[in-house]
Amino acid sequence: MGEVIVITSGKGGVGKTTTTANIGTGLALEGKSVVLLDADIGLRNLDVVMGLENRIVYDLVDVIDGICRMKQALIKDKRYQNLYLMPAAQTKDKNAVTPEQMLKLTKELAEEFDFVIVDCPAGIEQGFKNAIAGANRSIVVTTPEVSAVRDADRIIGLLESNGLKNPQLVINRVKIDMVRRGDMMNIDDMVDILAIDLLGVIPDDEYIVVSTNRGEPAISDSKSLAGQAYRNIVKRIMGENVPFMSLDSEEGFMAKLAKAFGFRRI
Amino acid sequence: MKDDAIVFKGTKEGLYVLLKEEMDFPNIVEQLEKKLKPSKSFFEGAKIVNFKGKSLSPGEYNELVAILQNQYGMQFIGDYETLDNSIFLEKEEEKNQSKLEPIINQRFGDEGKALFIKGTIRSGQMIKSNGSIVVLGDVNPGAYMEAAGSIIVMGNMRGTGHAGTQGDYNTYIAAFRLEPMQLRIGDIITRPPDGKQYSSKVPEMAVVRRGMIIVEPYLEKR
Repeated sequence: MGEVIVITSGKGGVGKTTTTANIGTGLALEGKSVVLLDADIGLRNLDVVMGLENRIVYDLVDVIDGICRMKQALIKDKRYQNLYLMPAAQTKDKNAVTPEQMLKLTKELAEEFDFVIVDCPAGIEQGFKNAIAGANRSIVVTTPEVSAVRDADRIIGLLESNGLKNPQLVINRVKIDMVRRGDMMNIDDMVDILAIDLLGVIPDDEYIVVSTNRGEPAISDSKSLAGQAYRNIVKRIMGENVPFMSLDSEEGFMAKLAKAFGFRRI
Repeated sequence: MKDDAIVFKGTKEGLYVLLKEEMDFPNIVEQLEKKLKPSKSFFEGAKIVNFKGKSLSPGEYNELVAILQNQYGMQFIGDYETLDNSIFLEKEEEKNQSKLEPIINQRFGDEGKALFIKGTIRSGQMIKSNGSIVVLGDVNPGAYMEAAGSIIVMGNMRGTGHAGTQGDYNTYIAAFRLEPMQLRIGDIITRPPDGKQYSSKVPEMAVVRRGMIIVEPYLEKR
């Protein structure tokens, strides 16, 4: 029985989908069998980020409505053997499925895969309830902005009241030079406010925009700073103890950069 | 009906002057003048093919022609030999129609319903039709169209199109710029190749050949 991990944030645009795509790809790179489940019915993006949009024939709603079998809706990734995508429907809305149906679906998927990564829509309504229905682990994505942290706090409360204890935190889009200048929200302060375990810190990386538009997750690119951060997160998800990248001193950052380059030769 | 005593009827060649058989000649002259006088300038230079509807003697004929030409400045193309007694022009119309209809049946195939849409079809929108679909605008990625007939996009086709949903492989999907997410005709599904972005400068259509969907320009020699 695999793990069902929901990736959520409350606020939109903080990088849930990018994080889902990268963590999923990273786990597949580590040899795990992974399915990415897009729960954002009506505003699906995960297929675009994965570059699999033009392969969609059936979707999640078709599976739940019994129009097709689960296997028919699963799209095999074009690069990685054991990575699959279950796309959301685009012409329906969140009310097309119920949390009970999602629970059943994720259970079935978890029997076949090591990891089921659920990309949660923004907001706290039906879509959120659907996405967390079958999860047994949760990751909260936020950015170093007061509004995103406020929403993350609200989401953590909702997750815990829905039985998802110990959500883990990913802080996305941290601008290294701003942190160094002290102009950006301090990561320690954020962890302090949200009071959950920090899973990883993703530096702001222009390459993410490139990779998202190309449909190739940044984690597969050894030059990408964000890709390196996602690789560390994946190792932590699998239970390894990886030290955090040092972002607060210049030497630390340079050292980290050198390490990132060193990674490429492997 | 006095007003309808003389009628000018337009055809492709020019005007016919329809006369009533029961009218006597002086009455005709009177009615003709009455009809033409108020709108002299309108009829000036008009091409009159011939009279119709009444048998006239050569003398009467020439007198009427003289009135039209000299007093009202009209051109008269016909002559006494081609004078036709019948009131109706239907012979010719009939001929034209019988010529057209088989052409329509032979050369222009798909008759039936079509859904016309003006504007952009956006992501998440689903257009369904029991006939064909014609879009005067763009179809964006994430938009769906399902037609029992064909799909024609007079703009950029970037979405998913499904023609021949009832299994008709003779349907097609055509667009000014065909850069679709996915194409389906009947139960055949295809998508553009991965990798490099393909883009054509000419309008294209997707059709089924040997069980495969192929895309080709529909305007040859361009």
